[in-house]
Amino acid sequence: MVLPASTIAVLLIAMVALWGVGGWALVRSLGDEERKLELLERQETFDSYSPRVMSELRAWIESHPDHPRVDDATTAYNDCVDRLGRIEETFYDWDETTIDDLERL
Amino acid sequence: MTNQRARTSREQWGSRFGFLMAMVGAMVGAGNIWRLPYVTGINGGGGFLLIYLLLLYLIAIPGLMAETLLGRYTNRGVIGSVRQVAGPGGWTGVAVVVLVVNIALMSYYAPILGWILYYVYHSILGTFMQPGFNPLVFWTSYTNATVLVIATHTIAVGLVAIVLLFGIRDGIERIVRWLFPALLVALLAVAIRSLTLPGALSGVRYLFTPRIEFLLRPATWIGALGQALFSTGLGWGIALTYGSYLRDHDDVALGGGLFTALGNTSIGLLALLAVFPAVFAFGLQPTAGSSLTFISLTYVFGQMAGGYFWAIVFYLGFFFAAFTSGLAITEVGVTTLTEETRFGRNTVVVLFSGAIWLVGLPSAYSVDVLNLMDFIFGTWGLPVAALLVMLVVGWKLGSDPGLGLEWVRLVELNRSTDLYVGRWWSVIVQFVIPPVIALIVVYYVISNLMSHPTQTVGGVVLIGAIILVSVLGMAVLERPGADEHANGGGQ
Repeated sequence: MVLPASTIAVLLIAMVALWGVGGWALVRSLGDEERKLELLERQETFDSYSPRVMSELRAWIESHPDHPRVDDATTAYNDCVDRLGRIEETFYDWDETTIDDLERL
Repeated sequence: MTNQRARTSREQWGSRFGFLMAMVGAMVGAGNIWRLPYVTGINGGGGFLLIYLLLLYLIAIPGLMAETLLGRYTNRGVIGSVRQVAGPGGWTGVAVVVLVVNIALMSYYAPILGWILYYVYHSILGTFMQPGFNPLVFWTSYTNATVLVIATHTIAVGLVAIVLLFGIRDGIERIVRWLFPALLVALLAVAIRSLTLPGALSGVRYLFTPRIEFLLRPATWIGALGQALFSTGLGWGIALTYGSYLRDHDDVALGGGLFTALGNTSIGLLALLAVFPAVFAFGLQPTAGSSLTFISLTYVFGQMAGGYFWAIVFYLGFFFAAFTSGLAITEVGVTTLTEETRFGRNTVVVLFSGAIWLVGLPSAYSVDVLNLMDFIFGTWGLPVAALLVMLVVGWKLGSDPGLGLEWVRLVELNRSTDLYVGRWWSVIVQFVIPPVIALIVVYYVISNLMSHPTQTVGGVVLIGAIILVSVLGMAVLERPGADEHANGGGQ
């Protein structure tokens, strides 16, 4: 029996969407863990947010000054700024200029 | 409460691999092995699968991220988490509902674990290969042998309790690190064997060919929604409980959300490829449901070359899948009661397992009771529990009526993760998932009202009563000043 093209297409989509992406997520998650543990062992901490998230977090804090959780958000932001100032190697893809431009809120 | 918190020292997962295997092992259960093939079969095959995949990515993954996040954020079990984000009182009753549903679920899941154990035992004995073996007679005589079923139920509860007595890291993590990969290998081996049988491609064709007419039926979409939401274990309290044992630097989005949902469904796809080609190759009924696993497949193994070996591999894998889920469902109650009572973990494991064994006796005694429990708690209890958990995350953790979850997404979900999660997550968790689950519940009520009016009305009334008693009870127990009254005016 020859399978119709539409059957093969659905089978391939399911395999890529589940086994492909799931396998990628597993490998990436385990790789991240190894990297984090290396960083923790070497410098006791690492940057908690990516440049993109830090930029969004700053924008959110500035646009929600009266939000009940703004203090938590500010603490998290400042903590990451402090960490970036202390560490030599980052977990996320930060460049020196961006780190130098960061200021506590 | 403060003293109680100080007494409770929390364990953490020992490794990322252990956490990931525990999460996906918890979500892969008996339902993945037989339900996905069955639901895919009756809903038009390939088209259903495509809808299901779409909804898995759109709804189940964000939902699992949210539930795991709640656990990591609070470092508490179900009741403690809800109390922390929603405050003491009526909302804590919502967590009690989740706990009650979990107990009910495990009470009939334990007898099923016992069934699988019995089939593992007989696959090793080679019973299915004996001349004149009749799968239906074998199944009926086993389920009618009350003492035997209660004995296997007791062994199943005992095995779960033994693992849980060792705790999170030395118990659950240690065992799932081996069981889940073993399940994967077992299913993969059976799938390869199944796909190489003469006539197996008819099964592949039946499963994966998109039949357009099914795409236009609302029932197909509702079926895919239900499968995407509930086969991933969303709202059972498991992701919350396991998430509460994460370390500070662990990510949620990639492991707790994406990998858990896709890993779980990947096993479902493997089960599709293991079961259906064999079913077609031997000319069996593909829409046979749960009896496919316990009746049809024993016939298949009996007819298959090397069937003795494949039966052992399949039923062992099936047992591993169900056992890791049983551990997780029971752990939800163990974690919560250890935090909420004065008992130590080991005492709670023994008492809670004993309670599950006792509540599970009627389901072990009668398959009809088990089916009724599944109808009530599987059909109504789990969706309602999932709705309540999602309401807590979306509307209580997100603390304002607008897009309140944005601070959670930025501060908590995107912390220490390699997977950026955008604003869409807050919209889906707050505004899409709760109404979608509510819609499914209403649809289930309407559609079942016609076919099973008594059970439907009874189920709805029972779940409603559980919600009412839990919410009112906790509102009274945790009302301001209740402690002072109980302690004689606070003296």
